[in-house]
Amino acid sequence: MKTTVYVARRIITMNPMQPQTTHVAVRDGRILGVGSREGLSAWGPCTLDERFADKVLMPGLVEGHCHLQEGSLWDMPYLGWFDRRDPQGTVWPGLQSMDAVVERLAAVDARMSSQGAAQETPLIAWGFDPIYFGGERMTTDHLDRVSATRPIVVVHANAHLMNVNSPMLRLAGIGRDSEIEGVMRFASGPRSGEPNGELQEPAAMFPVVRRIGAVGPLAPMTEAGVRAFARLACMQGVTTATDLVNKLTEADCAVLEAALADDAVGVRILPAFQAFHGAQGAQQGAEHVQRLLPRNTDRLRYGLVKMMLDGSIQGFSARLRWPGYFNGAPNGIWVTAPAQYEADFEVYHRAGLQIHTHTNGDEASAVALDAVERVLARAPRPDHRHTLQHGQMIDRPLFLRMAALGMCANLFANHLWYWGDQHHDMTMGPDRAHRLDACASALAAGVPLAIHSDAPVTPLGPMFTAWCAVNRVTPKGRVLGEAERIGVPQALHAITLGAAWTLKLDHEIGSIECGKRADFCVLEDDPLAMDPAALKDARIWGTVLSGRVFEAGAPRP
Amino acid sequence: MNAAPLPLTVIGGFLGAGKTSLLNRWLRHAGQQRLAVLVNDFGALDIDAALIESSAAETIALTNGCVCCQIGDDLSMALVRVLESGTSFDAVVIEASGVSDPGRIAQLGHADPGLRLDSVIVLVDASTALAQSQDPLLADTLARPLKAADLVVVNKCDLVDLDTRQAVARWIESVAGPVPRFEAMHAAVPLPLLSARAMPAAHRAGVHGAGCEAHGGMDHGAQFDTWCCRPARVFRPDALRAWLRAAPAGLLRLKGFVRCAAPAGGVEWFEVQLAGRNASLRPLPAGVAPPDDSALVALGLRGLLPTAALEAGLGDPTCPEAR
Repeated sequence: MKTTVYVARRIITMNPMQPQTTHVAVRDGRILGVGSREGLSAWGPCTLDERFADKVLMPGLVEGHCHLQEGSLWDMPYLGWFDRRDPQGTVWPGLQSMDAVVERLAAVDARMSSQGAAQETPLIAWGFDPIYFGGERMTTDHLDRVSATRPIVVVHANAHLMNVNSPMLRLAGIGRDSEIEGVMRFASGPRSGEPNGELQEPAAMFPVVRRIGAVGPLAPMTEAGVRAFARLACMQGVTTATDLVNKLTEADCAVLEAALADDAVGVRILPAFQAFHGAQGAQQGAEHVQRLLPRNTDRLRYGLVKMMLDGSIQGFSARLRWPGYFNGAPNGIWVTAPAQYEADFEVYHRAGLQIHTHTNGDEASAVALDAVERVLARAPRPDHRHTLQHGQMIDRPLFLRMAALGMCANLFANHLWYWGDQHHDMTMGPDRAHRLDACASALAAGVPLAIHSDAPVTPLGPMFTAWCAVNRVTPKGRVLGEAERIGVPQALHAITLGAAWTLKLDHEIGSIECGKRADFCVLEDDPLAMDPAALKDARIWGTVLSGRVFEAGAPRP
Repeated sequence: MNAAPLPLTVIGGFLGAGKTSLLNRWLRHAGQQRLAVLVNDFGALDIDAALIESSAAETIALTNGCVCCQIGDDLSMALVRVLESGTSFDAVVIEASGVSDPGRIAQLGHADPGLRLDSVIVLVDASTALAQSQDPLLADTLARPLKAADLVVVNKCDLVDLDTRQAVARWIESVAGPVPRFEAMHAAVPLPLLSARAMPAAHRAGVHGAGCEAHGGMDHGAQFDTWCCRPARVFRPDALRAWLRAAPAGLLRLKGFVRCAAPAGGVEWFEVQLAGRNASLRPLPAGVAPPDDSALVALGLRGLLPTAALEAGLGDPTCPEAR
C-alpha cells in the first residue's frame, strides 16, 4: 500500500470541520487523511510529494451542467463574440465585427487550400451570435468575400440558424424562387428578393444539411471529442462533469466507455439520459438507464435523467409568467407538454432515478414544481434531489417551494455575463433582470445550490461561473441584482460540494476529507485571498483525479 | 432521377387528439400506397406483429410496403434517410409532436426538389379542446397548429353533444379563421382527405360535372361528392392562383392539370393542387410526362361541394355543362 502525502501552500477542503490545511495523504486514489505532516505520519511510511508546495489545492471542481460537445466543436473554427480557449490551450480572440469574422474565415479558407483541401470541401464554423451585433446581420456579401468557390456554413450559437455563402446556396439549390419561409432575402436594392444567405429554422437549413450532413452541435460525439473535453476540463480544474443530454444508444455508450476506460483521460463523466423527444416510452427509458448502471466505473457514471420543459430566454422560447417578454415577444414554447412531463417524470421517479429538468422561464419552473409536488404526494421518496437546471427566473416564493419539496437548483450564472445586458435591455427589462439566476435567494431559502456554464453554450470554467455569481456584472458594466450576489466561499461551495450534492456524489467528491476520491483542482492563486472581482483570473495548474496527476500545460495524447 | 416529387403530409395536434390512431389506420388501409411515416415513438404506434416484415433500430418495414421511421431529435436527418433510402414511396407523412408547430415542419415540403407539400392536417380532441383552450398554459400551444392547418379533423365527436361540437367549431374558427373541418370518431378519416393520391385519378375522369367516376381506391363514396372537368381554355396563372387562394367554402381537395399561358409566351402544362387552405399552381416538374388532356377533380363532403362555383371558376365559359 503506497501512501503519498502532498504538501501545498494552502488546501481549501470545503470540510467545515477543518476548512484549511497544508497536507493531504492519498492512498489507492482516495484521501487517507488531511492535516499536518506530523498528524498524517501516524499512517506509517509515505512518500512526500512537494510538487504542489507553492500551489493551492481545492476539491476537484464539479460542472453539473455541461455537454461533451464543448470538446468536439473545436474540430471547426470558432467565431464567437468572446475570447475562448480551445482544447490545445490556444485562446481564440472574440470577434466583435463582421470584418473580424470574415478575416478569420479567410485565414481558415487559405489554410484549407494550402493543406490541399479541394475547393468543394465545405468550411463549417460555429459560435457566431448575431445578438451582439446591434441589428447588423451577416449576409452573402460578407461570406462571399471569404471565398467565391468554397461552400461556407456559419452555424449560429443557438443552432436554429445558419449563414451560408453563394456557393453553398447554389450547391443547396436555394434561389430566388425557393418557397421556404426561413430563407431570408435582401429587402431592397438590385438583389431585392434574392436569398441573402441567412437560413432560419430546420426547413431552410435542410437543403444544406442534406448536402453536407449534420453539422455543429448535432454532429455525433466521437472518442476524440471526449478526449478534447477532458483536456479542457483539466485546464479549468474540473474533475467531474455531466454530459447533460445523451441518447445513450449503444453507439453513444461505446464512445463513452472506450474514451473513459483510458487512464490518460482525466475526467469523470455523468451522462444524463435524454428523456424527452422520446424515441421510446418513459418506462422503457427508465429500464434502459437501470440496465446501464452495472456498467458504471469510476470515470463513467450512468444514472442521471434529463427532461426539458421550455426553450431559452434569449431565444424568446422560454415560458414566462406575466408580464412576459419585455420587448413584447409572444410567450415561448413547451418542449414537453406539462401533462406529458408529469406523467414521464413520475415513471422515472418511481424507478428511483434522479431527474434534472431544464426550465429557463419562471412559468416552466412553476409548472415543474406543480408536477413534482403532485408526483411526490402520490409517490413519496426521501432524498430524491430532483434538480431544476438553469432556473433562471426562479424567485423567492418558488425557491421556498423547492426547499419544501427537497429539490435542488443548478442556476445558469454565466448568463449574467454573457447575456446580462440583453436580458436587461430586451428580454426581462430592468427590475426583473436583477433576479436572473438568483443565487442568494436560493441559498436564503435553503435550496442546495450549484451553478453552471452549460458548455458549449458558454465556455466551461467553474471559476469563471463562480466569478459571475459573486460579482453579477455585465459586459456594459452593469451590476444585475446586487442583493443576489453571493460570497466567494459560497460560490466555491457551489462549484464543488454544492454541485456534487445535485449529482448525488457528495459522499464521494466535492470536498477534501478522509474517504473521498483524491480529486483536486490545483491552483497557482488562492481564490480566498484574491480580490473577488478577479476570481475568474485565478490561474489553474491542472487537476488530480482519483490520485492521478494531470498538468494542464503538459503535452497530451 | 426525375420522378414526380413525393407529397408530404404533416399530421399535427395536441396530445391525445388522435394522431397515432390516425396514422395506425392509414398504415393499415394504405392500399396500393407505399407510405414513409415518420413518427416520434414507435412504441405508441403499436403495429400488429403480423403486419411487420422487419424492424431495425430506426425503421420498421411493413408487409404492405410502408415504412415507419423514428424521428429521434433530428427530423431533418430522418427525412434525409427516407429520401436516400432508394425506395420509391408514394407519400411521406410526418407526425408532429403535440407541442411542435406543424406549420414549420410543413416548410420541409418546400425544402427539397424531391418533396411537395400536400397538406397540414391538424386533429382536435372535441372532448378536451374547449377546456384546454381555457388553460393559460396551453392556449397558445393549441392555437399554433390550428393556425397552420390546411384541414382540421375534429376527432372524438362521439364523446360530445351537438352543442359542444358547435362550440368547438366556433373556437377553431376564432383561432384559425375559416378552415375546412371534418368531424370524425376514432380518428377515422377517409384516405382521400389525407392524400391527393387517394382521390379519383383526374386524367381518367371521363365525365364532366358532378359525380364523376371514382377511380383510385375511393372507398368512401357515401361521404363525399366529386366534381370533374376538362377545361379546354388556357388559364392565366396569376388569375387562377387568386381563385385558388379564395377557393369557395366546401371544397376540400382539388387536383389536376390545366393549360396556362407561359410568361414567355405560348402554353404550358401546370399542375393544380389544393388541400383545404394549401393551394398551389406550378409548372409540371421536369421529367414528368405531360398529360393527354386537361383534367380537374374536386372533392367535398356530400351535399357541401360548391359545384356551381367550381363550374364558374374552372369550367369553360362556352361549355354547355358549365351553365
